This record gives sequence, structure tokens and C-alpha cells, in this order.
Amino acid sequence: MKIMLKEEFLSFVDGLIESMDVEGVKAKGKKFVFDRLGSSEELRLDYDTTILPPKKYFLPQYETIMKFDLSKQFSVKKEEDHEKRVIIGVHPYDIVAIKQMDKYFLDTHPDDLYFQKRKNTLIIGSNILNVSEKAFFGDMETGYVDSGYDLMITDLGDRVAIEIGTEAGRDLLRGYSLREASTGEIEEVKRIINDASEKAKRGLRVKPQKWHDLLEKSYNSEIWKKQAEKCLSCGTCTLVCPTCFCYDVTDEIDLTLKEGKRIRTWDGCLLRNFTEVASGEIFREKTEDRYRHRFNRKGRYLPTLLGFVACVGCGRCSSQCIPDIADPVNLMNMLAEEVSHLEEKSVSPHTETIIQSTEVEKPLYVPMPATIKNVKKLTKTEKLFEIELDNGRSLGHMPGQFVEISIPGYGEAPISVSSSPDGKRFQLIVRKMGDLTSKLHTMKEGDKVGIRGPFGNGFDLEALRGKNLIFIAGGLGLAPMRSLISYVLKNRMDFGEVTILYGCKEPCEVLLKEEIEEWEKREDIQFLKSVDRCPENEKWSGEIGVITSLIPKVKFDPKNTTAIIVGPPVMYKFVIDDLKNLGMPEENIIVSLERRMKCGVGKCGHCQINGIYVCKDGPVFNYKDIKDLPEAFT
Amino acid sequence: MKTKVAFFDFGGCEGCQLQIANLEEDVLELIDIVKIVSFREIMKEHSDDYDIAVIEGSIMRPMDEERLKKIRKNAKILIALGACACLGGVQRMINQWPVEESKETVYGNSEKIKDNPYFDNFHTKAVDEVVKVDAYVPGCPIDRNEFVRILIAIIQGKKPPLPDYPLCVECKKKENICLFEEGKLCLGPITRAGCNAICPSYGSECEGCRGFISHPEERAYKEVLEKYSISVEELLHKKSIFNYRYIEKKRDKNE
Ligand SMILES: Cc1cc2nc3c(=O)[nH]c(=O)nc-3n(C[C@H](O)[C@H](O)[C@H](O)COP(=O)(O)OP(=O)(O)OC[C@H]3O[C@@H](n4cnc5c(N)ncnc54)[C@H](O)[C@@H]3O)c2cc1C
Ligand code: SF4
Ligand code: SF4
Ligand code: SF4
Ligand code: SF4
Ligand code: FES
Repeated sequence: MKIMLKEEFLSFVDGLIESMDVEGVKAKGKKFVFDRLGSSEELRLDYDTTILPPKKYFLPQYETIMKFDLSKQFSVKKEEDHEKRVIIGVHPYDIVAIKQMDKYFLDTHPDDLYFQKRKNTLIIGSNILNVSEKAFFGDMETGYVDSGYDLMITDLGDRVAIEIGTEAGRDLLRGYSLREASTGEIEEVKRIINDASEKAKRGLRVKPQKWHDLLEKSYNSEIWKKQAEKCLSCGTCTLVCPTCFCYDVTDEIDLTLKEGKRIRTWDGCLLRNFTEVASGEIFREKTEDRYRHRFNRKGRYLPTLLGFVACVGCGRCSSQCIPDIADPVNLMNMLAEEVSHLEEKSVSPHTETIIQSTEVEKPLYVPMPATIKNVKKLTKTEKLFEIELDNGRSLGHMPGQFVEISIPGYGEAPISVSSSPDGKRFQLIVRKMGDLTSKLHTMKEGDKVGIRGPFGNGFDLEALRGKNLIFIAGGLGLAPMRSLISYVLKNRMDFGEVTILYGCKEPCEVLLKEEIEEWEKREDIQFLKSVDRCPENEKWSGEIGVITSLIPKVKFDPKNTTAIIVGPPVMYKFVIDDLKNLGMPEENIIVSLERRMKCGVGKCGHCQINGIYVCKDGPVFNYKDIKDLPEAFT
Repeated sequence: MKTKVAFFDFGGCEGCQLQIANLEEDVLELIDIVKIVSFREIMKEHSDDYDIAVIEGSIMRPMDEERLKKIRKNAKILIALGACACLGGVQRMINQWPVEESKETVYGNSEKIKDNPYFDNFHTKAVDEVVKVDAYVPGCPIDRNEFVRILIAIIQGKKPPLPDYPLCVECKKKENICLFEEGKLCLGPITRAGCNAICPSYGSECEGCRGFISHPEERAYKEVLEKYSISVEELLHKKSIFNYRYIEKKRDKNE
């Protein structure tokens, strides 16, 4: 540990200000914020906590992620941010949160935009001198860190104690006079750290290691509902939280209509439309479901996924939630009253420091240019697009995977690949729903689109080989399923008996009429189709009734057949119940699910079903693996 | 072919149109992508050939209704501009009293206005209580950037973007100190975001000029007021400034 005289330290800060963007803690009214420092005099190391955490430097409130030149057919440019920055005064609990953020954004599918900002930023931490009323980092054991910073300072009045964390931190200090700390000074720093942690204990009765078990056992507690009745669904608790990272993405075009940009901005799972899809369905519609999700994500889902408890005890949510229901201490203590015995898991808010050892080069969000090769109208609302990547490579997808298709200025949307993987071209069947899909419907052969992907887990072809299969498709569910059906029919010898059931609302909605005729003619499969209703003036050769009415009409051995089910959300429960009643084992049921998606790569948070991410853990799931997730089939 | 846009004013202060006339250099670019065929604030000419009609002001008289219906017939797309057009405006508070009573208070017991159609007021209405509205640009006054965003989206064939989450979201992103912490009554938690929380950013309470979100958490909000010892009267007063429409709707439902 080194010691610098306070005056020297202030000139050190002023020196930094001359050479780079220096962000530090400043007063705002009676509160504090991180903001650009104009001079060392503004720096307030005696602050208790800031309104927003420093996550805003790595995931800004509004961030341009790419720019478009709309005068060209398809021209997108990734936004670069090379500014060197140092943040002064970051408290240990916020450093723990930044380490969590590193893990979250740099884990599978590393986020290059995050990485660039993070890598260009040096962190000068500061041990805590004053503790805010609602902070509980003492309970969470996050009042002290020994890594994750470049420098860690402790304000000792006329001197500043400095712990050097990295070489980059050491370089900053070059040219300033330092001396070794005395034993007394080291003790003084220890005392400051201990005092803060002692003060920041608020009587949390369930330690973070037990949150997982507590939340699991309390999932159906009445407490969620009672508390959520007071909730304003204002999103504050997630926006101000250093460990909440969900974001939305939108396209903007400027007045000239010649340029535009794609922006990501903070979103939050407490907001009502967080899970809303184009059809109007909202997957977490009840306030209590959203309220519960936030706590579960912190105490249960992220610990399982990444090994840390996603709360650092900063107390920001506790102090800024207007009805005062967001405080984890109160909530956990309340839940604990109802549960007697709790198991411990070896997790805590702490996680390893990975930023120095990480490199990210590949852009995650920039789409590859591609060309529409053919467009075919299937129904009034669906068209089939045949697309080829401009780089000449094949997409390389597995049946069941999806791509993010994008049109600059109109956004992006996840669409399943509906062709089997062969050749350079791939096909998408797209229903006209909102902004992107409507624009796509106006496009013609030769027009350019952007493609990211393929993403997600497709169907496990190896596991299906040799099996008897029954496909059950409802409406647009045929689109993703067709990639597998085509594959199976092309490799017919590799599979056992094959049955296809297809249902939709009315005859005019039937997709792929010619292909269906082929299927009907084939002798080596059973095929049945139905519509919910048939208006008088339309022709229909199939059955009439809901899709489940087809199941008793075909011959198959439920115990030795694998079912593949894709359809609208309401369909799953009924079909699955019928199959189970016939004796089909749960592990023989495979589904593909739909949720709101933005990123496709496990970052934006929209597609979560409890703790799993449909975009990267799905969209294809084995029923057995998700049947116990309360949010999966509602 | 450029999209032709016409502006019309009804019962309002024309402040919203002024916001657009004030786009300054932007207005030139705006004129570059659309053709403005009627706009009293900046031009004398007028044409009835337009694609987009932008309506400012609330509807107060039978003759307004007639005129508005004609405009609707001419326009492919109709935009309600500002709090008056979207909600009925501050003047809607007058709906608390019978029409005749308010007339008397304002004009005295004058025989002169008796058969004059210009003074033939009924209870104030928002534009969508008379004709179908395709897009709303809320606010008193409107935010011109939002107007431009919505206009561009319409020209692009997209849904007009309008946030449906509470103002607090924008307020938090701007790192404001919440006014409740200062003992003030803010309508932010139930008001539609989109103005970038301009009032709280300057320390003033939000008065809800953009109207409420589609699913305001009313019960929770009332409880908050109790917690901060703010009376329901105070709330009702604040709510009625711009959102008397909402109170009317509630009352009608309860009746
Ligand atoms: C894994 C997966 C596969 C899909 N496959 C197909 C397909 O093969 N064919 C097809 O027509 N549709 C498919 N969808 C649905 C399709 O993604 C939506 O209809 C589409 O996003 C609507 O976008 P929009 O811009 O036109 O609508 P808007 O209402 O303008 O939507 C705005 C944004 O919200 C998100 N969003 C809205 N609806 C959905 C939704 N249903 N699912 C996910 N995100 C949504 C998207 O990010 C979208 O860009 C699939 C969805 C998922 C999750
Ligand atoms: S818990 Fe509190 S901060 Fe979070 S959304 Fe509800 S009212 Fe807002
Ligand atoms: S949940 Fe609350 S206390 Fe925990 S890190 Fe987030 S804002 Fe801080
Ligand atoms: S000041 Fe108003 S808008 Fe801002 S957070 Fe508080 S209640 Fe919400
Ligand atoms: S803060 Fe409220 S009152 Fe002020 S402009 Fe926005 S919506 Fe209107
Ligand atoms: S996390 Fe963004 S779509 Fe799954």
C-alpha cells in the first residue's frame, strides 16, 4: 500500500483531467452522481452512494450501436468508441457489480460494444467513508474487494492510501510522489473498511448463499402478490440497479431519410410491455409475475447460470422505489418467515476478475449483408423469402434454429429458418405483423437485408435418427417445423414411421399448399390437416376441428414415438396433455417456443422463461427439461 | 412524390404548431421530405389536397365537428397534435360544470351570443371522440423531436412510436432526484413517457400533460400518496389539469 499526500493526489486528478475523460463522483443537490470532472475540487470521496451506478459508462442509457447509410442498398457501420476514460471513486460493491457485468456480457457470445467501452476504462476505486441509510453491503459482504480495480484509494484526510491493482494503474501514478504506507496507516484503512461494512448491516436474516433455496421454496408464496399490489411498475428498481442489464433496441432515421442509427437503451423486466410480442400477447402480464421475476433473477437464475448472486447490497433500489417494496433485505426477511429450513449453495455476489484476460474481436450485432433471391406469396399474410448471404457462404444452420433478419431503419426480428440445411440459399416464411415484417413484405428479388445468426439450439438430429416421429404444427408453427420435416423426408430411410398433423384457423391460411399436396400423396408418411372453421364459399378437403381432434385419427405408438410440437402459445398445453394421456413419455416430447426477442444472444433479457433464455437455450426444448418452469406453458 | 401535409387548428393556443414552426433549420429538411400545403403559422396559401392532416386543438362546437369530419374525409392519415387534440386540453376542466353555467360565467348573461354558432359550445372533446385518429403526438406543448419521429415513422410505413411506460423510466435515465423524496406530488409514475422527463429534470412536478399510460397502476399510486400524506383532493386537482378526460371516463364507468 502506498501513501500520497492529499495535495499531490488532487494534482494527480487534475493531471488526469488534462489527458483523458475523467468521470468522478460529484454532488447533485443532496445526492451524488458520477459525472465528468472539470477539476479535482468537484470530486466527493465522502459520498454515500450515487443515484445511478457506474454501469452507465459500459451500457449507456442510450447507445448508438450502428449507423446506416440509407442512400445505399445495405450499408451499416458499427459504432466505435475509442475514448480513454477513468472513473474515480467507485465503491467496492459497485466494483463487484462491474465484475458481474463483465461475466454477463463477455460470457458465451461476448458483446464487443461492451468490451470496447470496458477495456478503454480504468477504474479507481474508493473505500467507503459514508454509508447510505439503505445500503446493506455489510450483509452481502461486498464492502471490500481485492481485485477488479486499477487503483483503490482510501481518503485519510490529509493523505490518500493507494492500493495498486494493475500495471495500467501503476502507470497512471508515474511521476507522482508516493511512499510506502506505515503499519499504522494500513491499520487505519482496514478500520475504515470494517467500519463501513459494520454500518452497512441491516439485519438480513437470509444470507445470499441461501437466497436460491428460499426463492425456490417461496415461488408460490402469497407475499409476491401482496407486495406487488403496491408496485407502480415504474421500472426504477431495475434501472438504478448495478446488476440489471436488460436493454431494448430501436431504429431511428433522421429527417433527411438518408441516415439512421440503431440504438440500444435500458429496459426493465418490471415494465408491463417488456415481454410483449407483435400479436399483443404479454408473457409476464401480472405485476406480481414481474415483481417476482426480478428477485428470482438476482437470487436464483443468475447464480445458476453464472455463479454469482446478482445483488451487491448498494441499496439503490431500496431507497429509490417510491412505495418502498423493492428492498431485498425486507423481501428476503419476509419470505424467510414462511420457510423453516434452507439449504446453502456455494455462491456469493463475488466473481472472478476476467477483463484483463479477455479479448473480443467479432462484432456481435452487425448483420451480414444478404440478398433476397426469390419471394413467393403463400397466403394473404405470409410470404416465403429465399435468401443468400453476400459472402457466398451457406448459412450453416441446423433445423430449428433461427436468424435475426434486419432492415436498416425498420429494426430486426427473429425468424426461424424453414428450409433444411442444404445449398447456399435458405428460406424464411414470414407473417406480416409489425414494422419489420411489413417492410419485408414490400421487398422483391434483388433487395438487400441483413442477417445475424443462425442462433439457438435446433432439433437434435442424432437423437431423432431411427425414431418414429409425429409432427404437430399449428398455424405458423409449420415454418420452423418445415426445416426438420424437409430434412426427414429427404433422409426418409433414417427414420421410423412419420406422421404429420397440421392445423390452422381457416383454409385461406394454409401455408405451402403444393408441398402439402406432395405430403398427402406420399405413401411412406401419414398426413392429416384440419381447420378450426371453413367459411361456406371455401373449398376444404381436410378435417374440421381443433388440432387435437386429429390425434385420435392417426395410428401411432405413443410409447415409441417422438412428438415435435410447434404452434401458438395456447396450443401446447392441450396437445401435450392429450399425448401424455395416450401414454407418451415426457422425454419423447419436443417443442419449439416463442418469446419476445431483441438480441438473440442471451443479453437483452427479453426472452427469459424463468431462468432460461429461449434465444440461446432454445427455441427447441425437450419438454421434460422445461415442464417444471412455471412460466413455460401458461 | 412527397407526402403532402396540412395543419389545422381548433380550440387551442396554437402553441404546438409554433413548436413545429420553430423547428428552425430542421423545418427546411422537413419541407424537403414532405410538402406542407397548409400551415397558418408559416404560410398564407391553403390546399385541400393532402395526405396527412395534423389537427391541433380540442373540439368545442358543432361547427368544429363538421369541419373536422371533412378533414378526415380528405386525409389518408390524421394526426392529433398536442394535449388539446389528444385529451381535450386544460379547457376540458370546464366539463365539470353544465355548459350554460360556464357560458354565463365567462360571457355574462348576454343575449348577443345566443344564436351565434361561434359561441355554440358543447362539452370539450378530444379529436378521437369525433373522428378516427391514426397517430397521437401528446404533450403541452408537444416535443418537436417526437413529432418528427412520428412523422418519419408514418412516412416509412411504420407504427407511430409512442412509449407506453411511465415517465419515471426517462426520469431515472436522466439521474434526477425523485420529487417524491422532496415531498412533492409528481404524476410521473402513471404518465406516458416521451418528453424526456423535462419537468422533473428542472425540479417541477409532472402534471401529466402527455396523458396516462394504457395500464396505470392506480391503486398502488393512491397508496403512495397516502404514504407521503398527499390528499386525494390534491391528486384529483393535479390529475384534472390535463387528464379530466380520464376522470370523466372513470365517473361514467361508475355511474
Ligand atoms: C424463435 C422465433 C422464431 C420465429 N419464427 C418466425 C417465423 O418463422 N415466421 C414469422 O413470421 N414469425 C416468426 N417469429 C415471430 C416474429 O419474430 C415476429 O412476428 C416479429 O418479431 C415481428 O416483428 P415486427 O418488427 O414486424 O413487429 P413489431 O410489432 O414492430 O415488433 C417490434 C419488435 O419486437 C420484437 N417482437 C415482436 N414480436 C415478437 C415475437 N413474436 N417474437 C419475438 N420477438 C418479437 C422484435 O424484436 C420486433 O422487431 C419468430 C419468433 C421467435 C422468437
Ligand atoms: S418495485 Fe418499486 S421501483 Fe420496482 S417497479 Fe415496483 S414500484 Fe417501481
Ligand atoms: S438489487 Fe438493489 S441493492 Fe441489490 S444491487 Fe440492485 S439496486 Fe443494489
Ligand atoms: S420525479 Fe416523478 S417522474 Fe421522476 S422518478 Fe420521481 S415520480 Fe417518477
Ligand atoms: S414532465 Fe409531465 S407535465 Fe412535463 S412535459 Fe412531461 S408529461 Fe408533460
Ligand atoms: S436475451 Fe435477448 S433475445 Fe434472448
